[in-house]
Amino acid sequence: MVAGRRHRVWLTRGWPTRAWQTGTALRIGLAALIGLAAAGGTAAAVLTSGNAAAATATTATASGAEPAGTISETGSSLLYPLIHAWGTAYQAQHPGETVNTKSTSSGVGISDASAGTADIGASDAYLSSGDLVKNPTLLNIPLAVSAQTIIYNVPGLSAGTHLKLNGPVLAGIFNGSITMWNNPAITSLNPGANLQAIRIVPVHRSDSSGDTFLFTSYLAMTDPTWNNAIGYGTTAAWPKVPGMAAQKGNAAVVSYCGTTAGCIGYAGISYLSQAQREGLGEAMLANGADRYTLPTASAIEASISTFASITPPNETISMIDGPSAAGYPLVNYEYAVVSTRQPDARRASDIRAFLSWAITKGNAPSYLNAVGFAALPPSVATLSAEQIAEIGS
Amino acid sequence: MTTMLLSPARGRLRSSTPVAMRSLLVSLVLLSLAWGAFGGWVASEHSSAAHAALTVDEPLSLDASQMYQSIADADVTITTAFLASSQPTLTPLQQYQHDIATASADIAQLRAAGGNATFDTALGKLISGLPTYTSYVAEAESQYSLGFPLTGGSFMQVASEEAHLTLLPAAKTVFQQENDAVSSASGEATGLPTEIIALLLAIITGYILVRSQRWLTRRTNRIINPGLLAATVLLVISAVWLAAGFLTARQDLDHGIGQGSGPAETLAQASIDVQQIRGDAVLNVISRSGDASFQQDFTATSKLVGPGASSLLGSAAGASSGSGHTAVVTAEQQAGSWYTTNAQTYTLGNAANYAAERTAVIGTGSGSSAAGYTALESSITKGIDADQSVFQSAAASGSDALSPLLAVVIVAALLMALGCIWGFRHRLAEYR
Repeated sequence: MVAGRRHRVWLTRGWPTRAWQTGTALRIGLAALIGLAAAGGTAAAVLTSGNAAAATATTATASGAEPAGTISETGSSLLYPLIHAWGTAYQAQHPGETVNTKSTSSGVGISDASAGTADIGASDAYLSSGDLVKNPTLLNIPLAVSAQTIIYNVPGLSAGTHLKLNGPVLAGIFNGSITMWNNPAITSLNPGANLQAIRIVPVHRSDSSGDTFLFTSYLAMTDPTWNNAIGYGTTAAWPKVPGMAAQKGNAAVVSYCGTTAGCIGYAGISYLSQAQREGLGEAMLANGADRYTLPTASAIEASISTFASITPPNETISMIDGPSAAGYPLVNYEYAVVSTRQPDARRASDIRAFLSWAITKGNAPSYLNAVGFAALPPSVATLSAEQIAEIGS
Repeated sequence: MTTMLLSPARGRLRSSTPVAMRSLLVSLVLLSLAWGAFGGWVASEHSSAAHAALTVDEPLSLDASQMYQSIADADVTITTAFLASSQPTLTPLQQYQHDIATASADIAQLRAAGGNATFDTALGKLISGLPTYTSYVAEAESQYSLGFPLTGGSFMQVASEEAHLTLLPAAKTVFQQENDAVSSASGEATGLPTEIIALLLAIITGYILVRSQRWLTRRTNRIINPGLLAATVLLVISAVWLAAGFLTARQDLDHGIGQGSGPAETLAQASIDVQQIRGDAVLNVISRSGDASFQQDFTATSKLVGPGASSLLGSAAGASSGSGHTAVVTAEQQAGSWYTTNAQTYTLGNAANYAAERTAVIGTGSGSSAAGYTALESSITKGIDADQSVFQSAAASGSDALSPLLAVVIVAALLMALGCIWGFRHRLAEYR
C-alpha cells in the first residue's frame, strides 16, 4: 500500500501547475476573443434606464442572435449617471434586450448581487475579502475610473475659488474638533481666502456607501488619529458632531449642501456638475506628495498609472493617496459585482456582452468626460476582460 | 481420498494401502504448504498494514494537520501584524516565514506519499496556490514599506482570499484524505475475514492429520507416528501463535485508535475549527467594504467545537485518557471564555466601531482574543500530542506482536511437510 501511494505520486508530479497554466491560457484566450468581439461591434447591446425606477433597452448577443432577456443592475449612485448614459447609447446601437438599472448604493449593489436579486451590482468599493469568502462565486470587475470630490457651501468666497484641504483638516471637521470655517487650520492652508466665522455643517452618507468607504479611507490614510479612532468602511461610527447631517445617496448630499450654508460633504465626481449648478465649491485635496490637486482627467490618470501594473488578477486594490505628485488622491475603480454562476447560458452571455461593451466602447471619452471619469488603463481592461470571461452558468 | 480417510474401518477403501499412504502423504504435504502460504500471507498483510498505519499514514495525517495549522496561522499572523503596524516587529514576520516553510515541507512530504485523485487535486491546488499566496503577501509588504498601507491592506485582503478560498479548503481535503488512509490501514490491520479463513484452513489440516494418524494406527499397529505427531504439534503451535498474535495486535490497535488516533483526529478537527473562528474574526476586521459578517459562522462553529457532550471537545474528552484528557478538559474551560471575548469583537464590528474591533482582535494582552486563541490552541495541541503518543505506543506494540508471525507460520509449515514425509517414509518402506 505504501509503495503504491508513492508510485502514484511520481506519476502525477507536476500536473497541477500544467493544468493551471492551461486553464489560465484558456481564460485569457476567451477574454481576448470577447474583447475583440465587443470591439468589433458584434457584442451585445444593453439598455439602461434613466432614473431610479427602471428603463428598458435592447441588445444583440455576442453570437449575433437577437437577445430576449432582461438584465438588472443596481448599486452605486456614483456610477449611475455613467451606466445610464451607457444604457441609452447601447439601446440606440443594439435594440433587442432590456436592462433595468437603479441608483441605490454600493452596499445595496453588493448585497443584491450576492443574493442574486440583481444581475449586476455596482460598487465604488471592491468586494471585501469577507464578502468574497462568503460568496466565492462573485467577481468585482472594474468598468471605469472614478474620483471623489469634496464639495462645500461657504458663503463669501469669490467665484472660482478652490479651497485647499487635506486629510487631517477633513478629519478634524468630521470629528468635531474643527467647527468654524475660519479655523486657523483651514485659513493657514488658504491664505487670502475670505473665510468667515461660519459654523461648519459636515454631511455624510446614511447608507452603506462606497463613497463613504473611499472618503474614510483617505482620512484613515492621512490622519493616524482618525485611523485609530474611527477607521474606514462603507459605513462608519461617525463622531457626534453638533449639526452633522446624514443623507442617502450622492444626489441628496449635493442637494442638502446646496441649501445649507457652511455645509461640507463628499460626493462622487459624476455629481460635480450638479454641485456646480447648486453653486457649491470643489476643494483641492493634498496628495501623497503634499501637493493640492483637483480631480481633473489628467490628475486622475496620473494617480492610477502607478497602480495599473500591480493590480492583481481579481482587481481588488486600493489606490487612495498614491505616490504620483501630479495625481489626485481620491480615485478608485468603479466595479461591477457579478456572479460567475448565472441562472442560464443566455443570461451569462448577455451580461458578458454588456460588460465587454462597457470596458471597450463604453470607455470612450464621449461617455466618460460627461461624468468626469477616466478610462481603464489597457492592462486593467485586459484583467477585466479575463474576469468577464469567467461569467458562466 | 476423503472417503478413504473418514471411513477406513468400514472397508470402503478402493485402493491398496501403499497407494493410500502415498495419496495421504501428498495431501498432507500440500495442506502444510498451503497453510504456510496462506497463513504467512495473512500475517504479512496484517503486519504491513499495522506498520503502515504507524509509520506512514499516521505521520502523514499529522503532516496534513500541521500543514493546515501552518497556513491558517501564517495568514492570521501576517494579517494581524500589519493591522497592528505598517512596520511589524521581526517576531511575527519570522513566525509567518516559519509557518510557510513548515507548510511547504509538509506539502512536499504529502506529495511524495501520493494518494487518490481527490487527494492529488487538492494537493495540486496547494502546490500552485501557496506561491500565489506568498506573492500577494510580498506585494502587500512592499506597499506597506513604501508608505501605502491601504494598498498594502488591499493586497493582504487578496492574500487572505487565496488562503480562505483555495489553500485552507484544499488543506482540509488533504487532511480528511489522510485520516481516511489511517482508518483504512487500521481496518486492514484488524480485519477478521482473512484471519478466520486461515484458522479454518489450520483446523481442516489438523483434522486430516489426526484422522491420518488414526488410520495409520489401525493399518500398521503402531500407536504413534512421530512425524505426523510432530506436524500436528507444529500446526497447533503456529495456529495458536497466529491467533494470539493477531488478537493481541487487534486489541492494541483498537486501544490505540479508540484512545489515541480517534480523539487526536477529533481534536485536530476542533483545532481546524478554532483556527477558522480566529481567521474569520481577523477577516471581519480587514473587510471594510460590503456588509459580510462572520458572526453567524462563529456562533455555529463554536457550538461544533464545544464544550458539550456532542461537541468535538466533548467527544475527545470522553475518548482520551491521562494527560490527553487533562489537556482537553483545560481546552473546554478556555473555549468558553474565549468565545465571550470573540463575540464582543463582532458586536463592535456590527456597530462600525472598526478601531475598537481591530484592537479587540489583534490586542495581545491578558484576556484578549488573541491570548485566548493561543491558550486554547496550545491546550488542543497538547491533547493531540498526548493522544498521538497513546496511538503510537499501542500501534507499535500491536505491530511487534504481528512481526514474527510470518516467520513462525512459514517455518512451521515447512517442518510440518518434512514431518509428514518422514512419518510416511518408514511406513511405505515396509511394503517394499
